[in-house]
Amino acid sequence: MKKNWWKILAVVLLVFTVVAGMLSDVPRLAILNETIRNLYFHVPMWFGMILILLISVVYSIKYLRNPTTRNDVIAYEAAKVGILFGVLGIVTGMEWAKFTWGEYWSNDPKQNASAIGLLIYFAYVVLRSSFNEQQQRARISAVYNIFAFAALIPLLFILPRLTDSLHPGNGGNPGFNTYDLDSRLRLVFYPAVLGWTLLGIWIVNVKSRLEILRQRLYETV
Amino acid sequence: MKLFRILAVWCFILFATTGLQQAQAQPEQTEVEFSSAPQPEIEMADTLRQDGKIYVVVVVLLTVLVGLIAYLVTLDRKVARLEKQMRD
Repeated sequence: MKKNWWKILAVVLLVFTVVAGMLSDVPRLAILNETIRNLYFHVPMWFGMILILLISVVYSIKYLRNPTTRNDVIAYEAAKVGILFGVLGIVTGMEWAKFTWGEYWSNDPKQNASAIGLLIYFAYVVLRSSFNEQQQRARISAVYNIFAFAALIPLLFILPRLTDSLHPGNGGNPGFNTYDLDSRLRLVFYPAVLGWTLLGIWIVNVKSRLEILRQRLYETV
Repeated sequence: MKLFRILAVWCFILFATTGLQQAQAQPEQTEVEFSSAPQPEIEMADTLRQDGKIYVVVVVLLTVLVGLIAYLVTLDRKVARLEKQMRD
């Protein structure tokens, strides 16, 4: 139980996110209306994705320095969960955009860049599955993973800011800045980010342990 | 495992400090300012809340969340049991 405190924390934070996210007071803004509450569910997907992909990169680097099965497995499982969060982020973003920007996909720089970022990570999964030899697969995909993460950061955080984007925080759109400062939103938003991220880490944790067990089973049989 | 724990603590500290700083820096900022035009009536789900039906949504969302987490917990337990068997 002592080792699992962060899993309990994740559950508590997520329950808080849902309850406070639905019931708390939010700024009254035109166009956004109640959809502003998506801030607690859409944005944490991306924050969670970045943090989980960061874990993936850390374990890829660890693998290159110290090639163990464990490092490789955690890097791979974290990348997959990161991709899951990214897909959820892009789908929830499209749903939100339909009712605030008018279109599911308006070729907004932020949308396009995040789609490219996800494609880079899809390629990671494809690349990995194309090797038969375990060590070769682990080493080459670890190197690719580092490059993928390095490409993702400018795609998500730099390039959309250089042009005009509808997405808050980008281009000439101050959007969220005005109500980002709203402490009512922050009170739920930060716990939401932490809660969703911990949930993702939990999934990575279970999947990696299962995969390590599976590999050990093959070794002994 | 140790790395997860360190990361979690690190995240918590980061969020707590930034949240605290913002809360201290912007204690008065609760109303969002628009242009000088008179504030238009902005639709919010007031009637839904008055009728109390928002709680139905909260209950449904909590049910989904609890269901998913319970599933994850059972998976976690199963893996833990396998790990124990493997060690023995």
